[in-house]
Amino acid sequence: MADDKDVLRDVWFGRIPTCFLLNQDEVTEREAEPYYLLLPRVSYLTLVTDKVKKHFHKVIRTEDAEEMWFEYEGTPLKWHYPIGVLFDLHASNTVLPWSITVHFKNFPDRDLLHCPSHSVIEAHFMSSIKEADALKHKSQVVNDMQKKDHKQLWMGLQNDKFDQFWAMNRKLMEYPTEDGGFRFIPFRIYQTMSDRPFIQKQYRPVSPEGNVHTLGDLMKAMYPVALSNEGEPKRFQVVIHGIEPLLETPLQWLSEHLSHPDNFLHICVIPVPSD
Amino acid sequence: MSLCVLDEENFHLCCQLLLQLSEQLGDGWSWEGGQGSQEGYLRKTALRSVVIDSSSVWDYEGGWSDTSCQSQSEQQEGEQEQAAVDASADTNSIKGDLEEQDEDDGVCVVSAGSSQLLQYEYHILHSCSYSTPVLYFRTCTQEGRSLSLEEVWSSVHPNYRLRLQSSPLNTITLQEHPLLGQPFFMLHPCRTEEFMRPVLQAAQDQHRSVNYVLSWLSVVGPMVGLDVPLKYSTLLHPAAPSPAEILPPCTEAASST
Repeated sequence: MADDKDVLRDVWFGRIPTCFLLNQDEVTEREAEPYYLLLPRVSYLTLVTDKVKKHFHKVIRTEDAEEMWFEYEGTPLKWHYPIGVLFDLHASNTVLPWSITVHFKNFPDRDLLHCPSHSVIEAHFMSSIKEADALKHKSQVVNDMQKKDHKQLWMGLQNDKFDQFWAMNRKLMEYPTEDGGFRFIPFRIYQTMSDRPFIQKQYRPVSPEGNVHTLGDLMKAMYPVALSNEGEPKRFQVVIHGIEPLLETPLQWLSEHLSHPDNFLHICVIPVPSD
Repeated sequence: MSLCVLDEENFHLCCQLLLQLSEQLGDGWSWEGGQGSQEGYLRKTALRSVVIDSSSVWDYEGGWSDTSCQSQSEQQEGEQEQAAVDASADTNSIKGDLEEQDEDDGVCVVSAGSSQLLQYEYHILHSCSYSTPVLYFRTCTQEGRSLSLEEVWSSVHPNYRLRLQSSPLNTITLQEHPLLGQPFFMLHPCRTEEFMRPVLQAAQDQHRSVNYVLSWLSVVGPMVGLDVPLKYSTLLHPAAPSPAEILPPCTEAASST
């Protein structure tokens, strides 16, 4: 359907205006100007911030510049989550632009994965795609691909080439019509209320009785707290790509259209703003 | 269901059995996570004396996950000089009267250059995506400094390093622990089913029961300094086999595929 193709584009080209500020404790030779970027929601922080690094390296001494990392209001930002997930989870109620603090010292080993180069991001990205395909097709599609096909997925993301990426990614989105969907839906549900980073389990797009599973069914099965009972005030928002999809939306459709390039449906559960 | 698939329920049965044996052997495994809850992991800590040879800088960045599932023979060159390292660890020499901490068994590398004592923490989790167990670990010095991926690679015995790079057993990467949200090293599970298949197939052919987790651990553990004493197996399979006495098998070898 033509309309649905537009959804893929809208998801791919989602942007978050962001202001990068140097951490005040960094020793600088002169004052560091903030740096502004439109961050792609579906990309990774360390993949799109080479310019930020270059910008701040100009004002700090080389020997003071260790591995760059990012923080928002005291929370170290995990580069291995898609940017849109980080924003929805930690900053969805912030005033734009999103203000991220940049650090070059005291890398928080206990919280963040090191990211010494883009090849580490590539490894993480491909690992996620493989894991998703293990769930969707028992790894058959991704294993049938050639190395250059894997490269095409990665280059598509890295260079922000929608058509290049989707020419290959559509293969990962296929399934036998008679099955009515993937074997399992690759999803992750994030919340900030506990230390547990996310919920990820096996969940089928269709019930054993043949009923189509919806987003609401998934939430009810995995994280019922996120749903409010009838008559009660809503406490949580279920957010994907910055929007709240209807809970009646079929999960299979969401998986095909609102998944990130890593082929996972990333769902954020966030408290309803109090004001 | 395929013979080689380990669902969450069977994972727990295997873990329970492993815990019982570990208790008998004083091997130090414990279960972490909610009681009665399916969500949790096996945990063990150990002290190991390891030589970190920082001069042998190994290009681990080449080992990203795509290649991690394929061979990397070009990386094998330059590893020969390491082969002189003496693998003195007698992996099967666990003593019956062992206390829970046993440093001798952990001495994996003795060579020129100073060895340092490292604290290892091993976790075994279930991967619902791959339906396999997964080994996570982290390691730090006595001062509490975490080891980098590069240092971890150089602490892996050269023979295993070759195997990790050239076999389907895969590579070590830094990943987020799915229950703790903290960085851990992980042996990637995407080929686990493949290398476990012959083990399980052989067991089935010989009508033996297999503890999937234990067999798998005996393959992957030693690569990162985690030795599985042979006694686990002799406890499971006494010299005179009387299947009735053996604890319930986790993977019924006779079951059809």
